[in-house]
Amino acid sequence: MSARERIFSAVRAELSAARDPAQIAGEAAALLAEPDAVRPRLAGATLAESFAIKATALGTTIDRVPALDAVPEAVARYLAGQGLRPSVALDGAPELRGLDWGAVETHSAIAPDEAAGVGLARFGVAESGSIVIHSGPETPILLAFLPLHHVVVLRVADMLAHLEDYAARLEGTEPPRNAILITGPSGTTDIEGSYVRGAHGPGFVHVILVEE
Amino acid sequence: MSDAPHAEAEAPDFKTRAGIALADRTLKIAIDRTTNTAETKRAAAVGAFPEFEAARERGRAIKDHVIANLGHYLETFERNATASGAKVHWAADDAEARAIVVRLCREAGARSVTRSKSMLGEEIGLPDALAEAGIERVETDLAEHIIQLAGEHPSHIIWPAMHRTREQVADLFREGHVPPPSAEDPGSMVRSARRVLREKFLGADVGISGANFLIADTGATCTVTNEGNAELTTTPPRVHIVTAGIEKLVPSTAHAFALLRLLVRSATGGEMTQYTTFHRGPKRPGDADGPEEMHIVLVDNGRSRMLGDEFRDMLRCIRCGACMNHCVVYRQIGGHAYGGTYPGPMGAVLTPVLDGLAKSRDLPFACTMNGRCAEVCPVRIPLPTLLRAWRGRSWRENLEPRAMRAGLGLWAWVARRPRLYRLASGLGVRALRLMGKGGWVGSVPLAGGWTAYRDLPRPSGKTFMEQYRGGRK
Amino acid sequence: MTQASGPRVALFVTCLVDAMRPRIGFAAIRVLEEAGCVVEVPEAQTCCGQPAFNSGDDADTKALARQVISVFDGYDHVVVPSGSCAGTIAHGYPELLADDPVWGPRAKALAGKTREILSFLVDVMGYRPEGRSLPASATYHDSCSGLREMGVKAQPRALLAGIDGLEMRPLEGAEVCCGFGGTFCVKYPAISNGIVGEKAAAIEATGADLLLAGDLGCLMNMAGKLHREGSKVRCFHTVEVVAGMADGPAIGEAE
Repeated sequence: MSARERIFSAVRAELSAARDPAQIAGEAAALLAEPDAVRPRLAGATLAESFAIKATALGTTIDRVPALDAVPEAVARYLAGQGLRPSVALDGAPELRGLDWGAVETHSAIAPDEAAGVGLARFGVAESGSIVIHSGPETPILLAFLPLHHVVVLRVADMLAHLEDYAARLEGTEPPRNAILITGPSGTTDIEGSYVRGAHGPGFVHVILVEE
Repeated sequence: MSDAPHAEAEAPDFKTRAGIALADRTLKIAIDRTTNTAETKRAAAVGAFPEFEAARERGRAIKDHVIANLGHYLETFERNATASGAKVHWAADDAEARAIVVRLCREAGARSVTRSKSMLGEEIGLPDALAEAGIERVETDLAEHIIQLAGEHPSHIIWPAMHRTREQVADLFREGHVPPPSAEDPGSMVRSARRVLREKFLGADVGISGANFLIADTGATCTVTNEGNAELTTTPPRVHIVTAGIEKLVPSTAHAFALLRLLVRSATGGEMTQYTTFHRGPKRPGDADGPEEMHIVLVDNGRSRMLGDEFRDMLRCIRCGACMNHCVVYRQIGGHAYGGTYPGPMGAVLTPVLDGLAKSRDLPFACTMNGRCAEVCPVRIPLPTLLRAWRGRSWRENLEPRAMRAGLGLWAWVARRPRLYRLASGLGVRALRLMGKGGWVGSVPLAGGWTAYRDLPRPSGKTFMEQYRGGRK
Repeated sequence: MTQASGPRVALFVTCLVDAMRPRIGFAAIRVLEEAGCVVEVPEAQTCCGQPAFNSGDDADTKALARQVISVFDGYDHVVVPSGSCAGTIAHGYPELLADDPVWGPRAKALAGKTREILSFLVDVMGYRPEGRSLPASATYHDSCSGLREMGVKAQPRALLAGIDGLEMRPLEGAEVCCGFGGTFCVKYPAISNGIVGEKAAAIEATGADLLLAGDLGCLMNMAGKLHREGSKVRCFHTVEVVAGMADGPAIGEAE
């Protein structure tokens, strides 16, 4: 007997007879009922405000721009403020690639010691101050992990209230290979429980909120 | 399962290990520093989430639902994971799991493997198996990196290096890092580890991770981490291997989120880990990066047996570590003294499942039954009840020392005979009184465990029942 | 004081109080009668069986459980000056006898009317101490079983707040176990010592004159450790203070 058969026969021996999958699905759905009773309330009056409260509490910095075409200037401002050269690894999203980057040099390859990477978030989650990225032809996952500074462009229109709202957005779609909810800069508490910001991933996460 | 390669489980017995731990004052300092922080932060996070009790109840119900329909969810997950391009493997025990992972590494021609912390990997003895196979293993979680440098096993399921103070970590890094860290504050040491491990991430042939959740309806595995090491482990190498216990299933992504809210608050006192990552199959055509192969090894190792016995509730465990952070015994002796993969209250329930009760009989008894672990458990596992169930088995299987059995049996026999009991307790109290003077008894035969460390109040000479009857007559 | 119309209350003395500190039993009777109860002390009582229960000896525990049920189930209430013995009756018996068609329901019925004494006084009898005074400072330890199994937390504090001159000082980690654990403290004495050592230090740090708690096992553990360490803190069961009997010897003081 294969290991698979042994495990299934052991599991089936201990559980009652096979049940109707529709009934199981009904029970599973019922376990998601009344979500507000089992999740935290939003921290602010609007989604963007709630997002900002949660994200900044974790050390994420936030800038707001009226429209996408103001993003390059905001990136230049952030880099200058951090004392960085105006050079970034840029993900392949056409929304970003199509912008006039002016004095900011952009490139696709991500160096192991890349200073800053700029990417487009699929969603923001107001409940937790998280941004969501999906892997794909235009989105290298390493862009969010190798650079010391991760600059994320997030459209206010893509802001979701709760984690379940993100799960709902995935329904009926082919989920990506990697979906990552990023909640603040990389960090660790592995030495004596004391929090150190910037472990293996970015030490800085900067969100540019696009209002349009 | 009994052949799990835990060096500590073989050697000295529990009391000896506990004694060594109690004598190590540095260990106590290290444990206190982290557990005090963890306890304070958890309390604050729970306090800031008024829905916590309702969320806990929901979390318990979700896990119970999955456990009751485990066969269905295993099949669903396998089907969806396979459809995503991942290859699903099944391991009935730890030896099978080790063999599968080593074979996959060999097939990938792996010389170097990066690993993102997984307690299941520890449970199945993966670190030693990779070493025996001659494959370089690079632990990438900071705490796992620390204990790899020290040649140790984890002492906690969330903070594997909890037993080490910052000063001890600094010593390890000075020896193991080239160049050594610039200073011994945690920040400098973390930066040093980042430098040392960065090149290892990009040069590995295989990345191995665990899973916090297996999402049945998408076939995705989910990891939650704070450092970013999991993504750097699973993205650059050509092959990604996941090892996960079969109890990690949840019906959907939304169910995983419901449990995630409980897990993070209970573990670290945060609300979300920095990275919550869903891995679904290998690199797709056109993807900018990602592994070319994804393998998921589903491990039973005693879990299916727990479905049918009194330890079934333990399958709800989401491995947050709150029970050990709040355990007075863990906080005295730390994780290594437990001698298994999992320490603390949850470990005292699981280790007898994994290593056998005869080898780990002390663990369910080394508990004061104070109930704090159950009070903080995010999925309401009745840990004291489960520990008592092991005590019952130990009694029924005659594993208790003969003198203990005889003594307790005699006492119970007398206690069922009230008049004899009255007589015996009256005599006992008088005898005890004779052993002391003033208000205290300093040493008592058969109670050396008590009087070695504390005095015993001297009884007044007559039992309550004697005085009460006397007063009424 | 006794009112014939009051509820018939059986006092479960507990084996430890019976042998080691009868004063607690008399204090319990005094306040229960003040509260208007008709108190009886059934003679056929011995021990609730907790040592057997916590050792995994289910057969002996069941035998003792049946004995306790038979002796006590005719009363309106069963009151216990110990959260852990009360917890064994209220939670252990129904769990252990759940599958027994005869004793299971009887265990449940007894569980429903079994209370720890301080919570009984406040929650059921609405009792408040009157005219009691004790010019001292005290700190209070929440014994684990009382706290987590029997819901004893606010009631003893409310009763102590009604005693003139008694200054209560908060104990750091009041809800953390003292390391007694019944047989635990003699099976794993070194670990138990580490735990009670920390507890004793926390008690000392309050600077209080008295340590109060609701379980004699925990009290003997803490008092024994405090005395060994040369502490001057005096230890009483909370019900002794509520009954106005804290003018007598503390635990470990000669009568």
